Parts: sequence; structure tokens; C-alpha cells
Amino acid sequence: MLHVQRTVWTTCLSITIFVAPLSAQDSSEQERAKLDFFESKIRPALIEHCQECHALDSEQAGGLLLDSQAGWQKGGDQGPAIVPGKSSESLLLKAISYSNPKLQMPPDGKLPAGVIENFRQWIDSGAIDPRTTEHDSSKTKSQGLTVDQAQSHWSYRPVQSSLLINVAGSNEHKSSSSSAWIDAQINAKLSESEIEPATRAAPEVLIRRLYLDLTGLPPTVSQLKEWTEGFDATRYTQLVDHLLASPHFGEAYARRWMDVIRYGDSVTLRGFVLPQSWRYRDYLINAYNEDRSFQQMICEQIAGDLMTADDPDARSQQLIATTFLTLGNTNLEKQDKEQLDMDYLDEQLDVIGAAFLGQTLGCARCHDHKFDPIPTRDYYALAGILKSSTGLKHSNVSEWIEKPLPLDPVAQTKFGELESQHTKIAADVKELKKKLDSLAKANPRFIKTDELPGVVVDSAQATLVGKWVESTHVGNIVGESYIHDDNSEKGVKSATFEPQNLPPGEYEVLLAYQASENRATNVVVQVFSADGEKEVTVNERQQAPELNLWRSLGRYRFEDKGQRFVLISNANTDGHVILDAVLFLPVSQMKDGSLSAALQVSKSGSGSGTDAEKQKATLKTLEKEAAELQKQLDERPKYMTVVENSPPKDLAIHIRGDVHTLGEVVPRGFLAAVSMSSKTRADAKPTTESPSPTRKELAEWISANENPLTARVYANRVWSWLMGRGIVATPNNFGITGSAPTHPELLDNLATRLIQSNWSTKVLVREIVLSQAYQRRCVAPGSVASDVDPENLLYWRGHTRRMSVEALRDSMLLVSGELDYSRGGSLIQPGTKADYNYTHRTTRRSIYHPVFRNSLPELFDEFDFADSSVSIEARSRSTVSQQGLSLMQEPWVIARARQASLKYSSTFKSQSVDEGLTELYLACFSREPSNEELKVCRSFLGLDSSPNEASDEKTSSGENKRASSANPKTNPTDEKTVIDPMRLELLIQSLFASIDFRFLE
Amino acid sequence: MSAERQLQRRAWLQQTGCGFGALAATALSQSSLLPASRAYAGKPELNLSSGLHHPAKAKRVIFLFMQGGVSQVDSFDHKPLLQERDGQAFEFNDARQLAKTGKATTQRIMKSPWKFQPYGQSEKWVSELFPESARNADEMTFLHGMHTEGVAHGPATLFLHCGATNSVRPSMGSWLLYGLGPENQNLPGFISIAPSVGNGGPRNYGNAFLPAQFQGTRIGGADSDILQIKNLLPRKDISELDRGQQLQLLSDLNAQQIQRREYKPNEFDAVVESYELAWRMQSVAPPILDTSDESTETLELYGINDPKTRAYGQRCLLARRLCEAGVRFIQVNYGDNSANPAWDQHSNLPKHADHALAVDRPIAGLLADLKRRGLLEDTIVWWGGEFGRTPYAQDNGTGRDHNPGGFTVWLAGGGFKSGSSHGATDEFGFQAIQGKVHMHDLHATILHQLGIDHKRLVFNHAGRDFRLTDVHGRVVQEILA
Repeated sequence: MLHVQRTVWTTCLSITIFVAPLSAQDSSEQERAKLDFFESKIRPALIEHCQECHALDSEQAGGLLLDSQAGWQKGGDQGPAIVPGKSSESLLLKAISYSNPKLQMPPDGKLPAGVIENFRQWIDSGAIDPRTTEHDSSKTKSQGLTVDQAQSHWSYRPVQSSLLINVAGSNEHKSSSSSAWIDAQINAKLSESEIEPATRAAPEVLIRRLYLDLTGLPPTVSQLKEWTEGFDATRYTQLVDHLLASPHFGEAYARRWMDVIRYGDSVTLRGFVLPQSWRYRDYLINAYNEDRSFQQMICEQIAGDLMTADDPDARSQQLIATTFLTLGNTNLEKQDKEQLDMDYLDEQLDVIGAAFLGQTLGCARCHDHKFDPIPTRDYYALAGILKSSTGLKHSNVSEWIEKPLPLDPVAQTKFGELESQHTKIAADVKELKKKLDSLAKANPRFIKTDELPGVVVDSAQATLVGKWVESTHVGNIVGESYIHDDNSEKGVKSATFEPQNLPPGEYEVLLAYQASENRATNVVVQVFSADGEKEVTVNERQQAPELNLWRSLGRYRFEDKGQRFVLISNANTDGHVILDAVLFLPVSQMKDGSLSAALQVSKSGSGSGTDAEKQKATLKTLEKEAAELQKQLDERPKYMTVVENSPPKDLAIHIRGDVHTLGEVVPRGFLAAVSMSSKTRADAKPTTESPSPTRKELAEWISANENPLTARVYANRVWSWLMGRGIVATPNNFGITGSAPTHPELLDNLATRLIQSNWSTKVLVREIVLSQAYQRRCVAPGSVASDVDPENLLYWRGHTRRMSVEALRDSMLLVSGELDYSRGGSLIQPGTKADYNYTHRTTRRSIYHPVFRNSLPELFDEFDFADSSVSIEARSRSTVSQQGLSLMQEPWVIARARQASLKYSSTFKSQSVDEGLTELYLACFSREPSNEELKVCRSFLGLDSSPNEASDEKTSSGENKRASSANPKTNPTDEKTVIDPMRLELLIQSLFASIDFRFLE
Repeated sequence: MSAERQLQRRAWLQQTGCGFGALAATALSQSSLLPASRAYAGKPELNLSSGLHHPAKAKRVIFLFMQGGVSQVDSFDHKPLLQERDGQAFEFNDARQLAKTGKATTQRIMKSPWKFQPYGQSEKWVSELFPESARNADEMTFLHGMHTEGVAHGPATLFLHCGATNSVRPSMGSWLLYGLGPENQNLPGFISIAPSVGNGGPRNYGNAFLPAQFQGTRIGGADSDILQIKNLLPRKDISELDRGQQLQLLSDLNAQQIQRREYKPNEFDAVVESYELAWRMQSVAPPILDTSDESTETLELYGINDPKTRAYGQRCLLARRLCEAGVRFIQVNYGDNSANPAWDQHSNLPKHADHALAVDRPIAGLLADLKRRGLLEDTIVWWGGEFGRTPYAQDNGTGRDHNPGGFTVWLAGGGFKSGSSHGATDEFGFQAIQGKVHMHDLHATILHQLGIDHKRLVFNHAGRDFRLTDVHGRVVQEILA
């Protein structure tokens, strides 16, 4: 309560200062009364109810200050709070009278009516306010860099390169000295700091390092042996080129980029599977393998759909690349669809900003960026560009958009033929049905519910609210009657059709009704399923399409415990609402995909005579054919994308990010802080300065050689992937709050080199790994280094790499001999609708496992897999006990160790124990074991070489070991050694869990 | 381990321990200790009795999550007018319709099928759905003016746990653990018992951008009676002796490998310790999770002998045991894995009775048990769902729709004014109108009782400081004892 007292005291002080001069100016009775009114009614109310949040020393919510006259005159984000004399136009009064659900103050409850009335009176009589506090400018919130000041921050300045052209000339890049420029700059800094760099790492260390860095897989024992021999600088370069050409290079680099662009194969809410994401992943793998220009990749990812290409394959690649825009972990069931659209767009901007520009654009959604020169208007200028396309089709639970991929002429013809066949058969079916229906009409009858397939809820079983009339007047009837609302008491009656027992699964839901002229045309039917609540409007004047009785409401998933019912209300209907039954037809029972065939009640037959029977048989055949054709048509490959849904339009600023509180409209455009006027080269012109740019122009602007951010950001990323840390340690943030570059010149040279090589990732990777800086040993700091640079910011030694969870898993599969190297394609098990509790069953490389946001593959959760919902610049390096539990207990790991022990038991049979152990060490760690290590392993296997050696050991459980379940069988050099397979399995599992398996030198 | 290495390690622990136990500190990730977190780096020595920012009234939280949305007007928010006006139509700002069309709609009032009666000295009116819980009314603080964000389950559930409907943010338990650290280093500090996989699933107990050691640990699942931590129980296919020898082997291998290396970063020590901690957890945690040593009287208290209340009773009992063992945040879920979970009665409102029956006695048992063990004083028990329900029938049917604009939660223990009610909804029980408490405010208030200033519990990520309460939240001083 101390806080409140202090506030009051401060305010009192201000009265003594300001009241006196004012009363001297004007001493009329009326003014004095108004002043008294303010002091007795308004000031206390403001202090009590408003100033906790709207005062200079508070959070200044909404930018509004109510502790001075100037405060409300200037107003907050939405403009002046009070119009003196006009309470009805004053925002303040609107807010406190709670008339607008979006603007209600104070937030914890409406003020008493008397207080509101006081405010009204005060405003209407002129809003006399003596509080003229001068705002101390130092107290208002600190402002960051303005657009004009942008050039004072390094990342907005043009790239300055000291790189000589002759480097670019060596485009064949076969010379091993092409990295000299990197080392020159690294070493210059080191000699400045008088740090002696570490020497080159040992051959087997470098081979392992290169294999894992460039392909994500360790070398096999034979690869290791092949390359270790005569491993000099030339052989090193050869290995680098060999690995750059490996198809696994694309797998490793695509996965790195997938971290940055929040790749996922499902969305968290409801676990919907995104069945086409994988095409984008494969696009990335291919693009990296063929070393596509990253500049081109940027354009394709942001605007591939708006580009053109001659052959269908290239066109497909462009279209698939744009899936990038749609991969956000979107909240599809958000009900405020306007807000959802904006959230979707914000997410795209966040990722585009972080991934390509190293900018935290999201900070400018609600207010000008607090630090970086990004005003809110720039944010909405960019947002306006993205707004013309959408990745969502709205309904209660919105849907993403899939479109068919272009095809080669042969396939095009094939699908075209299928399509026309399908159309023709569909027409025949329609014709036949019509005939049958008229036959059926002539023979009205009652359909017994137990004759129908699936689960029927008859009108007699529905839960009814209000008075419904039972009738049997017209048409075919399910059960003994149907019901109607008598076209009365609209909005009072409802019927709920809820099945008692419905096995979980996918169902076609159908409503039975008898059409006629007096029916309602707008019956709203709501289906509640695991997919959400969907509304279908039924026109009951139209004949139901199936057998004149059934109308499909669509396909739905129903879960064991979830809601499953159909709710129909007569609210706002324009005629009789008639309801006969609701049928839940399992999709699995529609074997040939035909609805009417499934619905035919064969026993009693609705037609008469053999003619009808014959026609029914024909219908069944035709429908079967149509379904078969549809199935083939469904196989046409699709991709997930955005569509241009509206003419491009400038957007209004959303005040505080609220879609319902709009401010000034801003013209579409780019970031004002990124000026490309100062050209460094003439060859690639900065993109169009068109007044209202499109998404394609945005892509060109981002990927322009002159954009000071993009090439730097990507070059820094590639560097960080290989060197353990970026030259800018925050690869997603090149703004004021990001880290400053440790080697600004080197960064600019890397960016220049990237541009010179036509944005080739492979050239950049190659030159980095050929540098001495990359090849250094991981050594302990000497005295100088430990004082000057203990964190290795200057790259004087190699860094200790932690294996990614993918590499960890893939390595185990490699050692166990189970790794399946096949590439590409979807691994999602057919029929998977939701990702909950999904079991990942393959021994393919980890990158091919679907990134299911609710069910990641084993170990992913524990070993720092990138959060797939946001752009991740670097994986975290956590060490938690759950990792220990996983490696020692997880069935997946145990299974790999068991498989490996089976594989190696034959090695142990044909070779000596030490040779077998050496093979294992080579496979797991790319090095041979020391004698000490051999001894520990032998001892664990129960094969101590000699009692003397064993007793030398001083481990705490030494005695236990001797008593271990595996007894020494024979001498280690004896070739007939028998190894206990369980001991071998436990040994291998320990190798998997050990430091050398999890950390690279 | 050489003396030099021992020293190095001790220095590192001192440098980074921040008042945590040494063991917990070694389990911290290295990255978390690097500049990523300003709050972390600048965190003062943590003295729990004085709290992180101010003296704490409570040490831990048990959150009884009623997934799907309990109807307030059928449970704790008594509105006699519904009886009177049953079946009559009125205009309402239905949240779903408002989100879709921006317009109010006409809706038919539906009375509660359950009778209310006053309980305790506070004479709190509670419906017959919760007779057992209601006997503890004098221990409870009711917040009738709750409101939140998100009309659908997914967004609202995420908002409840993480304070945001769409962005990926850390869960409240993770924030709490980040602020206070664990009480017991051999156990996870944040546990979610039987969570559902839907409506955000793991994100509801996820650490998002906070370091990994603050993530929630799941025990069991919504559709399972087995309450176990993943990979915790020692594998059965090998003997204890073999297991011990394997750990010794791993420890020897690691020692040799560290020895071999020229550069030995501290994280190697953390890795070594993580295996030891895992090993210790395997001996410490299973007895806590195993409730077979509880007396018949206790089992009876939680309703574990009755098949109708067994499942939630087991979870509540486990929560008490975890609470005793020093777990900071324990969430006891009542829900299921469907998209429309448990309490979500869009049709057939009477189904509420089944759910109430399943949780009522276990909750009453938990409160009684905490009280008699002296745990209720410094434990906050929080009961509630992601939103409430409408007082009118959804589309004139037999159920109630979601209602984020007004609902009730109750708190017990942890230094709140017991036997009191704060805030109110309108005469129909629809919108909060008085003593409004936003979900952000509730978060802020609970953190406050734990000695944390919600405005100062920040973590720097992607260029800016993040909070559980974003830029909102107000401590509800009125309910503090």
C-alpha cells in the first residue's frame, strides 16, 4: 500500500504548484466550480482507476497518459482521449461506458454509474484540467534507431569487400589455396592478439569432421581406411570435393535450412497431417545437391508460384518451393478469421525476416521497433505485399490449400482422358439414378433402420427441444416417421442426432429428408466431429441427391471420446424444417466409393420388376467405375501453396497489432532502412522501385546482390554451420540487439564471395572447409588464449561439435548396419490423418522422417531437435538427465545396440577380441582404441588378459566386475573367443552413450 | 578425475550455480548459461524464503485442469435468474458469433439442471455437481470474474498454459521453474500428469525458447491408467548387477575419452553427471510414483477404491506425493485425447454430471490430505478450465457453447483469502462485469504468491524480452490474504 500513498503525495505536490496561477487568471464563480468538480470528482477517480497504467511512471498502456492535460490531449495509439465539450465523441467515455466490447476500461470491471456520469459531465462542460505536468523527455520510453540513422548500424551499410577479383577468377576452384583470403583475415586478428593458433588436426579427426559436417554421417570403417592413407593436403581437397558431390550433402544442408524455416509435416492443434510438405523438403535436398544458386532459391521460396519456367519439372520445382510460405504451425481453428489471416501473415513475415534478412520484424507489428530502424509502417508496407495471397480456406476449422502439380505431356494426356471418362460416367450415373428414383417414388415405403449400413439415428431417437410434429405424409421414410417444425417458433426448436455407439473412424455423414415446395431453403446443420464444428446449409426444397432421400453432409473423423453429433436448429429458416434421420456411414464400408450403392437397401428393393433390378446392377457397375477413376485422379500429385485471392491492396496499420483497430493506410513497400541506392556494382540492378510492389518484387528485392543484409546473413549462416558459431553470433538477428560481427571484413568478403560465385553454397562451404581455420585441432587454451580469448571467438582452435540428434540416430543405424540410404519421398504411413501417437517405423535417414509436431521420432525431444514452429538459428546444447535416461533405457537405442551386437558377433568370431574391439571403435569413433580402452572393454566382456592387469584397476566397482555374469572364456588373442552377446550389446550401447559418440573433435 | 579437473569443475559450479544445488547446476545446459538470458545471468542468489523478487507465500502449484470448459452456471456461479427465464430468448454477444460476424445473436436461456445449496461458514452456493469439493468452500477463493482469450479449445488451452493463443511460448510451469529452480534435484521440477495429446499437446507443458531443463515432464497420458515417466523404470531384461556394471563401464569410457582429449569443455562434466542424475532419478522417483504404500484410509479418501473415481483419484494422490517430494508445478489433468475434450458439452449438458462425479471426491480428498499434512499452507491449488460455458443453449440444443468472456476458477492454499469470492458475471452468468480477472492477471497473481514479479521474470529471445504475461497482467491484490 506504500506505493499508493506515494502516488497520492506526488500528485498533491503538483496541485500546490499549479492551482494558484490558474485561479489567479480566472476567478469567475463558474470556472471555480468546474475546477472544484475536477478536484473532488475527477482527479481522485483518475488516480484510483486509471493512473496505475496510464501515467508517466507506469507502463503507459496504449501509449495513453491520463496524468496530465497534455496526456489526454495527445492521446494514445487511437488518438486524443477526450474531445472537450463532446463526451459522445470522446474515446475515454466510450471506453469507460463499456459500449464497445473491444475497448473496455478499466479492464477489471465497469466503473459505478455515478463515476461514469461524473466523467460525462466533466467532459461536456469543457474538461477543465489544471494538471500541466511537463513531461521529462528522458522519462519517455527510449527510442531506437530511426530510419535516417540506419546507416550508423553496420548491417544496413553496403557490403564492403577487400576481396581481389582474381579469387573470383578461380571459379573452377580446384586450387587448394583458394581459401587463403579467409586465413589471412583470421590470422591477422590472431597475431594482433598474439595468440598462436592450434595446428592441423589429425587425419582421422579431419576425416570424421568432414564427413559429419558435409554429409551428416560418419565415415564407415572402409571409407576411413581408404582416406587415411597418405592423407595430405591434396587428399584432403579430394575428400572435400568427393563429399560435396555426395547425394548426402543435400540431405545435410537441407536439414540445416529446415531448422531456419520451421519445417513441419503436421500442425499441433488437432494434429492435422500436412501430406505435401515432404515435396518441399525434397526440393531443398535436390537444390542443395545440384548447387542451385541460393539467390534463385530465395526467389522460388518466396514467389516461385509467380515465376515462369518452360519445362514442367522446373515449373513444379518453383511451385513446390513456395510451400515455404505455408509451413507455419497455424492455429486453424481460431474463430476470428480476420485475426487468423493476419496471424498467418505475421508468421510468414517473422520467418522471412529472420531467415533471409536477419531482422526481427515481428517487433514492429504492434509498435515501431524499439531498437532497429523498422517503423510499424514498414511492417504493414511488407504485410500489404503478402496480403494479396492466402494459404487458408476458411471454415470453422480453416484448411490449407493444395493444388495439382503440372505434368509432362504424357501424364497430362493420361489425366485428361481419365477426367473426361469420369465426367461421362458421372453423367450416365446421374441419368440412371433419375430413372431409378422415379421408380422408387412410385413405391413409397418405410426403410427399416437395421437394413441400412452404418449407424442410423432416426428422428425418433433424436433429442428434441421445442415442439416438433411427427408425420408420414410423403416419400420414402427411414424408420416409422419423420418430424418437422410446423414452420413455427423459429429459433426455439432444435434436434440433436447423437449416435449411442460409434466406433472411431472416418464417416460419411448423411441427412435424410423429404423434399417439397414448402420446405426451408436454409436449414443450418452443424456436424460436431474430431475435425471441429462444421456448418452445412441444406436446401430442403431440392430433392436429396441420393435416392431422393439422402444428402451427404461431408466426411468426418470421429474419435472414441470426442463429440459426435449433428445439431439442427430451426433458427432463421424460411419454411418447414423436415428431418428424417442422420446416417453415419463408415467410409470403409463404401468399398467401391459409391454412396448410392451403399445406401441401396437390397433386401426389399425399392424398384419393381427385373427392369429396375437390371438398372440397379448397371448403376452399381458404373458407380464402381467412376470411383475407380476418381481414385486414379486422386493420385495426381499435389503441392501445398498459397493462392492470389484478392487484388493487391495497401494495408492500414493495425494499432497495437489489433486487426479491428485500424490506423493510417500505408503504401506497399520494403524496409526503408535498407537503401540500395549506393550501388557497389552495376551488373545486378536493384529491383524495381515500383510504387506498389508484388510478392515477386519482394523476393527480388530480398535476393538482390545489393541488399546489404541477405548475402551477409546467408554467408554467416553457412559459416556458423561449419565453424560452430557465426561471425555474427545471432544469425537470425543482425539488428541492434544482435551480436556485432567478430570479423566484419571477413563477413563482407564471405558475402562478396557468395555473390561472385552466383550464390553457390558449395563454393562457400568448400572454401571454408579448405581454410586452416577449419582444420585446427581442438586444444586446451594456452596462457595467452585463455586470458585473451577463452571462448575461441577468434577461431584459434577447432570447436567441439555436438552431434545433432539426426546424426546421433543415423550413426547408430550405420554402426548397427541397418541404415537405409534410399532418398526422397513421403514416409507418412498411408491413411494417417492426425499425428497423435504416431509410430515412426523406418531405418531411413532421420531427415526423411515426418516432422510431426505432436509425435517426433525417438530421441528428437530429448536431444535438442529444432523447435519446428519457429525459425531456429542454432540448436540449443542442453545436457539434461532425460538424455541419460534415453540413451540407457530407450527401446529404440537398445534395439540398435542389439542389432549391432549381432552384426559384430561374427567379427568377434573370426578375429581376436582386440581386433573386434578396434573395428567397433573405428565404426563408432573413427579411431582406434588405446590399450587402456581395450582393457576396460575386455574386462567388461569378462575377458581380462591377465589377473595382474585386472587387479591394477582402481575403479570403485572393480570387485563387482570380476564377479560379473560373463566369465573369462579364454585369452584375448585366442581366435576362438566366445563373447556373451548380451555383454557385447551393453558394451555397444555404452559406446553409443559415451562422449566420443556424442561430441566431435 | 584429476585434482585440477575437480577444481575446474568446482569453479564452474560456483560460477553458474546461482544458488541451485550443485547437481542441478551440472545438469544445466551450457548454452543456457551463456548470454542468451539476461535474467539468468543477472539472477541474484536465490533464497527461497525471501522469494525471487519478494517474500513468497507459496512454494509450489498444483493445477487441477478441467479440460474442455466446465460450465460456471452449473457449478460455482449460482444464477437463480436462469431458472426464472428458462426458455426465453435474449440478445447475447456470443463469442463465436461475435468473432465470425461481429454481431450479437438471439439465444435461448437454459436453466441449470442441478440444484444449488450454501456450504460452509462462507455460505457459498455450489451446485450438487460438486458436493465433496464444496465442503471445502471455506478453504477456497472463488474468482467469478475470469475471462480469457480464444473461443476454440486449441487457442484457449494454449493461452491458459502459455499466455498466448498462437505463438510458441513457454508454459507457466517452465517459467516458474526457470524463476525458482527445482526444490528436489533428483526429480523433474515440472510435471504434467496424464496430459492429453490434443489442443496443443506437448506445447502445453513445453519450454519453448527457455532452456531444456525447464521443460515439463509427462507422467502417463489422458487415455492411460499407467502413471509413469518415460524411460524411468530400469530395463527388466538385464540384472541390477549388469546395469550397474554397464554404468561403471560408461563412466570408465567417458573418463578415458575426456582424458584423451586435448580440450575438455565443461559440458563433458555435465554429460557425465547427467548419467549419474538419471541413475539417481531411477532410484528416487519410482518409489514416489508407486502409491502402494498408502493406507486404505488414504485410498478411500481419494476415491481410489471406487471405479468411478479411481483414475482421477490416482492422479490427485500422485500429485500430493510429488508435492511432498518438492516438485514445483504439478498439473493434474482431467481430459481426454479427443478434439472436444471431456467437459465440452455442446450437446447433452447432463454429461457434466459424469465428469463431476469422476473428479469431485478426488479433489476433496486432495485438499483434505494436503491440509492434514500441513502442505496446503505453501501450496497453491488451482482449479479450472480453459474457459467457461454459455448460460444459453447452443443453437437451442441441449448443450452449452464455449464462453471465454466469463467463468469461474477457484484457488486454495498458498496465501489467498480463503472462504471468499471475488468478481462477478452478469445476472445470467455470461460476461464478467465486476472484479474482472484476465488469465494474464491470474498468472501474474499466482507468480506473485510464489515470490515472483511477473514483469521481471523475463527471457531474451529473438531480439526481445519475453514474459509469461506478455505486456499485460495485474496482480489481483484483492484476493491476497
